[in-house]
Amino acid sequence: MIRLQNVTKTYKRGSDGEVVALKDVSIEVNKGEFVFVVGPSGSGKSTFMKLLTREQIIDEGELWVAGKNLGTLRAWKVPVLRREIGYVYQDFKLLSNKTVYENIAFALEVIGKQRREIDRRVPEVLELVGLADKAKAQPHELSGGQQQRVSVARAFVNNPRILLCDEPTGNLDPSTSVGIMKLLDRINRTGATVVMATHDQHIVDSMRRRVIELEDGVVVRDQSRGVYGYGS
Amino acid sequence: MTARWRYIMVEAFIGLRRNLMMTFAVVLSVTVSLTLLGASLLLSDQVDLATDDWVGRVEVSIFLCDDRTCPAITPEQQEELRSELETQEVVAEVFYESKREAFERFQELFSDQPSLVDAIDPDTLPASFRVRLENPNLFNVIADQFSAFPGVDEIVDQREVLNQFLRFTNVVRNAALIVAAIQLVAAGVLIANTIRVAAFARREQTSVMRLVGASNWYIRLPFVLEGVMAGLIGALASWGLLYATVPRVAGNLSRDIELMPFIGAEQVILVGPWLLIAGTGIAAFSSIVALRRFLDV
Repeated sequence: MIRLQNVTKTYKRGSDGEVVALKDVSIEVNKGEFVFVVGPSGSGKSTFMKLLTREQIIDEGELWVAGKNLGTLRAWKVPVLRREIGYVYQDFKLLSNKTVYENIAFALEVIGKQRREIDRRVPEVLELVGLADKAKAQPHELSGGQQQRVSVARAFVNNPRILLCDEPTGNLDPSTSVGIMKLLDRINRTGATVVMATHDQHIVDSMRRRVIELEDGVVVRDQSRGVYGYGS
Repeated sequence: MTARWRYIMVEAFIGLRRNLMMTFAVVLSVTVSLTLLGASLLLSDQVDLATDDWVGRVEVSIFLCDDRTCPAITPEQQEELRSELETQEVVAEVFYESKREAFERFQELFSDQPSLVDAIDPDTLPASFRVRLENPNLFNVIADQFSAFPGVDEIVDQREVLNQFLRFTNVVRNAALIVAAIQLVAAGVLIANTIRVAAFARREQTSVMRLVGASNWYIRLPFVLEGVMAGLIGALASWGLLYATVPRVAGNLSRDIELMPFIGAEQVILVGPWLLIAGTGIAAFSSIVALRRFLDV
């Protein structure tokens, strides 16, 4: 589902300074896997996530996502790639002028889905994330955990093959985080591949899933049924 | 209209309304620049119309007396004048235009102003010899030699009138074109800025759209359409402005200047499509340029 082969990504800083964000990274994530990507700030986690959605383009190596070679993918085909990927942010990124229902429906409207399909699919995912009764609420009327559920629902409403989560529990308290993780786990069990970048040691330790640890742009650990690390 | 197009139209209108002052400024500046552009195009039309009318004509008119200004020319004098003219080396050709023919040409020239034609008696216009010269610059030779000829009322070098007119209109037209071009660039910059502000105001929405895989044109079209609509309104306003003023001004002028035909409403209508193309074109171009960096994937 996701395959990195000797991927290097370098950012230009100023006139001739360079920062190597990822150095010769090779990772393979299979269909239906649940993967944590951990590591301190600046380890290359965010770069890794941005490469997968082609917000950034690799400098060297080869990167395949959902059957597409991102090194040669034409710019106009990027939207097609992103329809295969659901993305959950730390700060939810819900539109404040739309209701919960409209926020989720928006993701389908803008990729040209028919009204009929939207009206069938949105209640389904609202049910899935347990917010069927909040359809008409505005985002600011919801708790952080509920907002993140809406955000997950929006990411999943198009049935993506891959769900990318960038610190999805970063703004949530531990008990709420557990609820979000259960939700992601349930989505993973429907067959979606989940990749989650996180700092949250408790969550990683309790889930016992595959852990990829990055440090200074290099994979220092890739362990199935792993824990957060650092002496734990 | 499908859901897609409804979204795009609604978003474009929201953008226009949310920023009414900016929209007004854009429309105003497009209107001003296109009015100038239209005016210079119409001036070109006017010049072409007048030149076409004149080019086919002979260079020198020798108007003959008909008792109104001087004692009428006798048939003998007229015959003598013709043979005298034909012997001149500088003269290439001599035509005689009778009162009747002069009136008919006048009728044709001002066919779009029947009131003017009606006001002229077929007998009013003088007969004339129309002389084409081998070398048009030798007008003075003819003028000196024949102005005192019995039965000759007045000798007019139309070329000189034409040249003066063309020089004047060219200066005016070029000035209008230059100002129009500068204004159009200013309008384009204003549109680009407006669209950038609009895109910035909706950056959260567009970033979500990119995230969920909306296509590029789908993200951009509302903004481009917003600019194009403002450009279109400006173009229509300038068209209306020209339509309301130009035929009236031309009508007034044609009452004072009978030498040439003037453009009318028809030419103003024909210039309209060009204004629409220029207005929407510049708006689309500046919007797309403004968005190129801003909304890239």
